[in-house]
Amino acid sequence: MAFLKKDFLMEVSYRFSFVLQFASIFFSVVMFYFVAKLLGEAPSVQKSLSEYGGNYFSFVLIGIAFSNFLSVGLGSFSTNIRSEQMIGTLEAMLVTPTTLSNIVLSSSQWSFAFTSLRVGVYLLIGGFFFGVSFTGAAVLPALLALVLTVVAFSSLGIISASFIMIFKRGDPIAFAITTSSTLLGGVYYPISILPGWLQSLSYLFPITYSLHAIRLSLLQGGGFSEVGGDLLALVIFSCITLPISLVCFRLAVARAKRDGSLAHY
Amino acid sequence: MTDVVLETHNLTKQFIRRKGLSSPRNPFGKTVFTAVKGIDLTVGRGEVFGLLGPNGAGKTTLTKMLCTLLLPSAGSAKVCGYDLARQQGKVKSKIALISSEERSFYWRLTGRQNLDFFAALHGISKQITRQRIEEVLEIVDMTEAAGRRFQEYSTGMKQRMGLARGLLADPEIFFMDEPTKGLDPIATWHLHDFIRNRLAEAGKTVIVATHHLAEAEQICDRVGIMYAGEMRASGPVKELIGDSTLSDFFRDLVEQTMVERAGN
Repeated sequence: MAFLKKDFLMEVSYRFSFVLQFASIFFSVVMFYFVAKLLGEAPSVQKSLSEYGGNYFSFVLIGIAFSNFLSVGLGSFSTNIRSEQMIGTLEAMLVTPTTLSNIVLSSSQWSFAFTSLRVGVYLLIGGFFFGVSFTGAAVLPALLALVLTVVAFSSLGIISASFIMIFKRGDPIAFAITTSSTLLGGVYYPISILPGWLQSLSYLFPITYSLHAIRLSLLQGGGFSEVGGDLLALVIFSCITLPISLVCFRLAVARAKRDGSLAHY
Repeated sequence: MTDVVLETHNLTKQFIRRKGLSSPRNPFGKTVFTAVKGIDLTVGRGEVFGLLGPNGAGKTTLTKMLCTLLLPSAGSAKVCGYDLARQQGKVKSKIALISSEERSFYWRLTGRQNLDFFAALHGISKQITRQRIEEVLEIVDMTEAAGRRFQEYSTGMKQRMGLARGLLADPEIFFMDEPTKGLDPIATWHLHDFIRNRLAEAGKTVIVATHHLAEAEQICDRVGIMYAGEMRASGPVKELIGDSTLSDFFRDLVEQTMVERAGN
């Protein structure tokens, strides 16, 4: 809670920036609303989106809202570590009995909490101003998918933070996964429009399962039987990547302590 | 010395520097730089020990090792009876690091909010955090200013907040790295007074890394003089310098070391 409180206080101390972030959500949603108006009536679009109800705006709204978790999961650990290194507070934290792993994990609490708030705002704007209906939404499967999404993305994010710990800048993991996930994961368009070989490739990324499960749950009321396969894929992905990420991070910290580069940036 | 709180044996730190692209002929080559070499040190409870030496002597590296921020390359150390390498969590619960680094605080937060955050990292329970913060603020005379943002503080006030943070968890050993850097003479006098009359008298051990010889002479019970990573001399100030001054003793020692090195 200490990190959450501290980061909240820091965030609201920049009031204009805080408000501006929510304004940018509104304009982003408006932009996609008009894109949806342009494309939404086309039969080919409705056919491609039939699994999710055929409405492009609600499809892309979920895509852009929940892909925020990808950015935060992948980027927040490394960004926060780098930020503490640059501000100069990392060493002050490291001489307290709180472990570095705890510091790294806790330092992202605010990012996830704030992202959840942003996603809520996306959905509220979509619901209140643009008529997206969530009345039949299956909330529990969507929440479970969200939790697994956070764990899966965070595992990749911790590996990314390990790179930052050693190389300070130029993290290839976050770059590669963010680019590939946005391209292949079905954020702006369904993966069914991709060529077959790219579709196969898209199943290597957790965002594909996350967005599929969350869209089905929120837009079509898909229950555990419909999204079970996606949830299982996310569990398997997390079970593999989470231990790997923790080992990577431990090795990176040991290396930085040996090299004396813990607080370097 | 009856109650030893800090003990090191042959403590050594080497940094391996990879040549990389700066050496195209041998980019995978390495050079080894020994920053701290074979330090044997014993400090007792309630002592104020000065680590003296010119810039680059290894004072900060030694301090960082003793604060668990750096892993030793060789040797061992015990802090309050806990092994430096294997019991880092226990070691950290017994120490505080107070540096002259102003950037170790969140400048957008108030002094009190900063202390609240670091109290949580020290594992101080919520029930007593508020009371403890007010106690330490009073000790460093920052109660009235604690509601202002850290960025509004003067250098002296920032240093006092550093002290307040160090006092939060009531540690046994205070490591101070260049504690009076940037302070005016009055603030320096206050800090010296605080070290001698508040910390040492309360049985706290203080390790001060400094290159200010007058400061060391004034506040330290014993000093260790470092040069090029080695501890060249250590002991009570009076015993070390005799009729000389610490400044002359220090200069002679450095010159003698340089002659020895040139001979080798």
